[in-house]
Amino acid sequence: MLNKKNKSLWGERKPLKSSYDAVIVGGGLHGLATAYFLARDHGIKDVAIIEKNYIGFGGAGRNTAIVRANQRTQENVPLYNEALKLWPVLTKELNFNLMFNNCGNLNLMHSEAAMKAARMNVSTAQFLGVESHLLDAKQLKEMEPAINVSEDITYPIHGAMYHPPGGIVRHDAVVWGLAKGAAEYGAEIHQDTEVTAINTEKGRIASVDTTRGKINTSKVLVAAGGYSSAVINRMLGIRLPISALTIQAMVTQPIKPLFDHVISSGAYHVYCNQTLKGEIATGAHMDDWPNYTTQTTAHYIKHQAEALTQFLPCLKGLKFMRIWGGLADMTPDMAPIMDGNDQVEGFFMDCGWGYFGFKSCSSTGKYMAEFMATDEYPDILKPFTMRRFEQHRLMGETAALVNYSADN
Amino acid sequence: MALTITCPVCGKRDGYEFRYGGEDKGPRPDEEGLTPENWCDYVHMNDCVAGIQKEWWYHRDGCGVWFSTHRDTTTNLEISDSEVK
Ligand SMILES: Cc1cc2nc3c(=O)[nH]c(=O)nc-3n(C[C@H](O)[C@H](O)[C@H](O)COP(=O)(O)OP(=O)(O)OC[C@H]3O[C@@H](n4cnc5c(N)ncnc54)[C@H](O)[C@@H]3O)c2cc1C
Ligand SMILES: [Zn+2]
Repeated sequence: MLNKKNKSLWGERKPLKSSYDAVIVGGGLHGLATAYFLARDHGIKDVAIIEKNYIGFGGAGRNTAIVRANQRTQENVPLYNEALKLWPVLTKELNFNLMFNNCGNLNLMHSEAAMKAARMNVSTAQFLGVESHLLDAKQLKEMEPAINVSEDITYPIHGAMYHPPGGIVRHDAVVWGLAKGAAEYGAEIHQDTEVTAINTEKGRIASVDTTRGKINTSKVLVAAGGYSSAVINRMLGIRLPISALTIQAMVTQPIKPLFDHVISSGAYHVYCNQTLKGEIATGAHMDDWPNYTTQTTAHYIKHQAEALTQFLPCLKGLKFMRIWGGLADMTPDMAPIMDGNDQVEGFFMDCGWGYFGFKSCSSTGKYMAEFMATDEYPDILKPFTMRRFEQHRLMGETAALVNYSADN
Repeated sequence: MALTITCPVCGKRDGYEFRYGGEDKGPRPDEEGLTPENWCDYVHMNDCVAGIQKEWWYHRDGCGVWFSTHRDTTTNLEISDSEVK
């Protein structure tokens, strides 16, 4: 058992009460952040976060921790920009070091068409007050000498999009910090507890069933990461425009400092950064078919090695140490669904975050909390309604530099 | 190997030869009386079952046939039609 000194940051396990003002399904980043802001901004502290496994079990503990605010569309950028600005604020407020490494991001471009697309992205960012620049290959080489800008690779590099405000935040610290912050306000975190049903009465949320008993409540938020669409369909019969795919990531053995930006490439389907420990942490693309396996594959290890050593040839011979998988719940327009009080009164959802739900969790938590507390849909969230699909108002993030969706 | 798929023409092959074609949602709805809601339902909405689902595949790097099959999304294993019933 745990030493007395190692008390849990988010308090001891309590008995489950028979009612709460709000129940949050899923102890990931979005659930924890929403609980934190419900208490901080709206004084709603009688909240239960119900987590089937342990907090951070899902994408929250598996992501590669990249943060940035250079998305493609005007609806998306402000939300991510606010999230970016919240890291230093939360570090202070939570009194917990989130280890924001503001190293900046480089997106490699491998054709003139990609350079033009990048120009669009950069303009959108600049228009919205987010720092973003276009670099040619020479400037890129000066910034990161390890990068191979020669013509002799499969996809020669024409330039890059440079986004100084982004970087890496320690994901586990965000989980622990938010859990600690929410618990200090009085929110209860119930791990090892599964929500098995969401019950409605006359079109309103009435209660949820859990493996530890029934909870009466009038408000439920499903923030179950990659499991959200399955949970929402199974428990409420609401189908979502989502495909849940396995996505993988891996790290190499540590090496001396080699590069100090997050570097990503749409053409090679790869992104990487050198961690503060010296490892190269790198993400691969995802399975093209929906599955909940979170299995890792030799296919992606090979892909990753081939892609990385094309534009960073000095990595040849380096060994991968660890590989893991998680889930990415992808919508057809590569943008999330944040909605509520529509299909069922008192039912809120925050999902479809694919492989970009880490960087956004703080601002999303803030606005989802506002939505749940006031029952008024915050303007910044309105474009993310699920109705956009039947209104044919899909967002233009699909045209961003990398995109995956099993349905396109 | 994460996935093998059995093509009705070529037999059991490496899953990377195929392209996933979405959940099998039955026939396309009639144009007559079609609303934005049921069109959206057909085009975009998924069941996202954690378990056995019926789905479309295309043998892209093979014979080019489209077919539907059953697969368990929690194991990536194909399920024969007789097992489903
Ligand atoms: C390999 C990988 C790399 C990624 N890289 C990045 C990145 O660099 N940058 C970025 O911004 N994003 C990244 N992401 C995406 C990001 O991690 C997710 O979008 C985000 O974590 C999802 O939100 P969440 O944390 O709230 O959900 P999760 O952490 O997935 O939490 C959901 C929780 O719900 C629980 N749950 C499920 N069903 C039930 C139930 N019935 N009852 C109770 N609890 C339940 C699960 O146990 C889980 O803990 C990555 C994801 C992966 C997998
Ligand atoms: Zn075939």
